[in-house]
Amino acid sequence: MPAVKVKRASSAVDMTAMCDVAFLLLTFFILTAQFRSQDAAAIETPSSISGIKVPDNDIMTIGLGRDGKVYFGIDNAQNRIAMLDNIAAAKGLSFTNNEKKEFSLMSNFGLPINQLKAYLNLPKEQQAKVNQAGIPTDTTGAGPTNELKEWVYNARKANNNLRIALKGDNLAKFPEFKNVLATLQAQNINKFNLITGTEAPPAGWKAD
Amino acid sequence: MAEINTGGGGGKHDGGKVRSKKASTRVDMTPMVDLGFLLITFFILATTLSKPSSMTLNVPDKTLKEETEPIKASNVMTVFLGKDNKAYYIFGKAANEDPELKTVGYGYEFRQALQENVKKVGGEKFVVVIKPTKQSTYKNMVDVLDEMAITKLKRYALVDALTADEKKLLKDKAKLDV
Repeated sequence: MPAVKVKRASSAVDMTAMCDVAFLLLTFFILTAQFRSQDAAAIETPSSISGIKVPDNDIMTIGLGRDGKVYFGIDNAQNRIAMLDNIAAAKGLSFTNNEKKEFSLMSNFGLPINQLKAYLNLPKEQQAKVNQAGIPTDTTGAGPTNELKEWVYNARKANNNLRIALKGDNLAKFPEFKNVLATLQAQNINKFNLITGTEAPPAGWKAD
Repeated sequence: MAEINTGGGGGKHDGGKVRSKKASTRVDMTPMVDLGFLLITFFILATTLSKPSSMTLNVPDKTLKEETEPIKASNVMTVFLGKDNKAYYIFGKAANEDPELKTVGYGYEFRQALQENVKKVGGEKFVVVIKPTKQSTYKNMVDVLDEMAITKLKRYALVDALTADEKKLLKDKAKLDV
């Protein structure tokens, strides 16, 4: 009688299924996620318990860096070009098509208008190295040197539905925030969003 | 690794037929899986999936001069946001009546102070006036507004100008440079 042979399982596992799953997930992530945009400055926002999400489109972001510099950006590339056209007309400047294209790729920026042209003509890798000076503001919100008001005005002219989000850094001082606030209030903008991180509300807390 | 096989091809038996080695049809998928997960990790780290949240802030219209009822000092808690993440508050008295200036931190401590004072006057009448000073940060202001949302107090105001009395009070009692 022949001995009963124990079937030996092969030590090589079939990886095909695992490979399928991995690439399925990969495809999902590529399609759903949006890349982090290259920001003019890193801003660490404070956190709040607010559960309202920032809308995806029609949004104007005014950033306030830790050193008090003000950054500005709007969401849509077409709108950015329209905004630049508006401001060029208002300030008596002109931008070439190439500069407009370059500008439309910037998610936000913090440059005085007179430095903008020079910045747009720099090669990409040098742009990242430029220490942006921030957009000039003032305490009254409507002074002649306040450029933020021009950007806000011309951005709204380009897209009337823009909502305003303020993104301030933890360490930004209040007077700097007040300048931004004054600029908006001078244009009769009294409602806006403050972008914050998410934090868990205290135990037992319920939203109304 | 880089060896060159110089021996006769597959020839155990001399003079036998030279057979080409048959490669297995199974491909080892392990490196491909490795690569797949590596890319997944990269995409998870390099993209933003969670969107930041936002709190709405409504400020009164400056162009409208509304007639408002003066509020009683006994119902008002005035909060001054000072430096080094410290807040000071006075409750129940105006700044010129020599009130007691209390120091609180943000977060839980502040919430307790709020709730304590709400009990004294009742939720309907209680008003919080938030006065950020020059040395306070944006985070301080957001923290306080957040506490307002947590304690569900609807009646609060963000005022940025300090009166002369308040300046004196902060200078004397809190040694704050205002």
